[in-house]
Amino acid sequence: MGLLYGLIAVGLALIFGLMDVTNFAHGEFLMIAMYLSFFLFAFFAIDPLLSAPLVAAALFIFGAVIYLLIVRFAMRAKANAGMVQIFTTFGLAIVMRGLAQFFFTPDYRSIPQSWLGGKTISVAGIFLPEPQLVGALVSILAFAGLYFFIHRTDFGRALEATREDPGAVALVGIDKNRVFAFGWGLGAALVGLAGAIMASFFYIYPDVGASFALIAYVTVALGGFGSVFGAFAGGIIVGLVEAVTALVLPPSLKSVGIYAVYLLVVFIRPRGLFGSI
Amino acid sequence: MDKDFAARRRRDLIIAAVLAVIAALTPLFVKDVVVQNILILTLMYAGLSQSWNILSGYCGQISLGHALYFGLGAYTTELLFTKFGVLPWFGMLAGGVVSALIAMGLGYPFFRLRGHYFVIATIVIAEIGLLLFHNWEWAGAAMGITIPIRGDSWLKFQFLRTKLPYFYFALALCCLAWFVTWWLENSKWGFWWRAVKDNPEAAESLGVDVFNSKMGAAAVSAFLVAVGGSFYAQFVSYIDPESVMGFQFSLLMALPAVLGGIGTLWGPVLGAAILIPLTELTRFKFGGSGRGVDLIVYGTLIVLISLALPRGLLSLFSRPKKTGAAR
Amino acid sequence: MTALLETRGVWQRFGGLVANSDVSISVGRGEIVGLIGPNGAGKSTLFNLIAGVLPPTQGSILFDGEDVTHMPAAERCQRGVGRTFQVVKSFETMTVIDNVIVGALVRNTVMREARRKAHEVLEFTGLAARADVLASDLVPAEKRRLEVARALATEPKLLLLDEVLTGLTPTEAQTGVALVRKVRDAGITVLMVEHVMEIVMPLVDRAIVLDLGKVLVEGKPADVVRDPKVISAYLGDRHAVGA
Repeated sequence: MGLLYGLIAVGLALIFGLMDVTNFAHGEFLMIAMYLSFFLFAFFAIDPLLSAPLVAAALFIFGAVIYLLIVRFAMRAKANAGMVQIFTTFGLAIVMRGLAQFFFTPDYRSIPQSWLGGKTISVAGIFLPEPQLVGALVSILAFAGLYFFIHRTDFGRALEATREDPGAVALVGIDKNRVFAFGWGLGAALVGLAGAIMASFFYIYPDVGASFALIAYVTVALGGFGSVFGAFAGGIIVGLVEAVTALVLPPSLKSVGIYAVYLLVVFIRPRGLFGSI
Repeated sequence: MDKDFAARRRRDLIIAAVLAVIAALTPLFVKDVVVQNILILTLMYAGLSQSWNILSGYCGQISLGHALYFGLGAYTTELLFTKFGVLPWFGMLAGGVVSALIAMGLGYPFFRLRGHYFVIATIVIAEIGLLLFHNWEWAGAAMGITIPIRGDSWLKFQFLRTKLPYFYFALALCCLAWFVTWWLENSKWGFWWRAVKDNPEAAESLGVDVFNSKMGAAAVSAFLVAVGGSFYAQFVSYIDPESVMGFQFSLLMALPAVLGGIGTLWGPVLGAAILIPLTELTRFKFGGSGRGVDLIVYGTLIVLISLALPRGLLSLFSRPKKTGAAR
Repeated sequence: MTALLETRGVWQRFGGLVANSDVSISVGRGEIVGLIGPNGAGKSTLFNLIAGVLPPTQGSILFDGEDVTHMPAAERCQRGVGRTFQVVKSFETMTVIDNVIVGALVRNTVMREARRKAHEVLEFTGLAARADVLASDLVPAEKRRLEVARALATEPKLLLLDEVLTGLTPTEAQTGVALVRKVRDAGITVLMVEHVMEIVMPLVDRAIVLDLGKVLVEGKPADVVRDPKVISAYLGDRHAVGA
């Protein structure tokens, strides 16, 4: 579970941290990915595991389009930039939730029989649920890929440079909007990946994103804004903390542990564990 | 120049008084219960947003966790009433004091945080509060508290047959929050807060006690919001954790101020006057279908307004600035 | 008469980097003292130690006969230390007059008096015509003057000026020099950090030259500019910059 949080959070970290834009619609991206995965299964009987790349690709386009159509303008705001971004993306989240209700109805849905759903695998005598395990594996791969991408390729450097100084970047011929649209696409694609995997073992409903969005934020902040590695580490910590809290406190309180750890960390390190901004 | 300033202050006060009188007279003409309901909520959110604006608008410490104080106000009042028979009026005061104290207690660690880290911490602390109340058996846990019906009385602030008393209380709350803001705006605190928001380091070099400024703003803001919470509890006469401490309240307090003009005297009132009727009407018109049309309309409006008017609606009316006069 | 400001054996280290080593200077009442030196000499660090942004690693700072080494900036302001910032830090969303009122509130608790004081200071600094303009709409030179006005509104005994004359046009700089003289004539002691010697030398009563974190030379401006150590420090600096 922690690794999946990590994956959601990395997507968010990319948007939020690396581009310094707030995205309050991140949970709704996740919701859309889960629905997409559900319908691919319902109509074409494609297992979530197989459809994951498709969903990720679709979300990539979706994220980039959202950036170009809406967020681009929010970033231009001269006054109250932070608030404008928060409320623009928040409004967007509400619209997406409304649309989901309109088209998909508020019913809970789930994918009845997927390759992964409900199965467990025994490793050294411990039973582990298969979907989570595969999720973990995919997360690690995706994270490794992303890490390489950000730190070793020209695009990664362009992204960082664009956040630092859009003006200077424009001088060397990089189009800020193209770089950021790509970044948003990439962030959304990661969420798409996470959504597809989660669709095989989670209920799907229009508000599902909201419950994960806050945890994703906490995860990013815990790791520190601006650090992809931090978001991933944050995800693992959050997953572990959740598991431990579930042992000592009633299940409805499991998030309290995560929140408490977040507060504790930022009180000691006001910029998160690996944060740079 | 000083005369200009004093005249502007007086003008604000007169406009507010006129608006308050007009508002006070509306129930004479508006008899429809649904509309009265909307008016009450509009006034309440105007007051809440005004209070939120003190900490987040003037002092610049963006809180998206004010639902905590709203809920604390509601719970303190109702727990005192149902468990100990304390009258809601005292409960209201107690709720305000409890919230202000908690706000200051939280201020110690919280005000060291900046930017996103602070905002997220405020969301998180409100969520912790929500979850704790969810699991607190004595306080009704997830079942909440139903306020026992004792018949119409000002003493118990409870009215079944008419909504008018609630209306006038909401109006009073809104006026109080406005007046407190108006008064603080031209006080040492008001200046300190704006200085802290714009540049804490420079503020410090000018003798501003940055930390205590934030604490003061947090306490005033939390107190007023808690009073609003305890009013709301009496108004709806049933509370549970989600219905008074949910994240949506934090947003509904912030949105009017942002929409109208954050950190301004009139922004929250203007924002609430537009946003709340809109919310309620879309819910009333489209909400019944359960198909989310209300959400789509509402969300689209928020996106459009935040994009078109980053300084809030008030910026439409602001006088042209005298730039370049002496260059 | 004791000095208004005195630093005794002040050290400041950032990790392995020594920004100030064993700096002992003093500023007498009513003086204009220039703190100069090439880039990286430790001027800004010393300035921040005196203003109370951070405490020194070692040594003590005395102001008006009182040990203020560990006193936070806000309290030093109440004791009578006013400062400006090298990178201007105006309250951008507030008007010019409101910016100055923040400073005036230190000594005036009644709003009306604070406002009157602020108007006085704006008159004094030549910003009166711009009182109702937002600070963000000022031109750079005006922002510098606003910094000075804000600090003066706190009625300081010692005014710390951080490169207020740097980067101004010659005319603007002349106005600035005149303002500093006027401030001193009003009985306020001035300690100013400047990088470029030409501007400050005619203005100051005494110059302290820092180099590599240490006091290199101190004395009358005319003597200081002729001192071979100062010349070589600045020449070395120019070479380094030119490279």
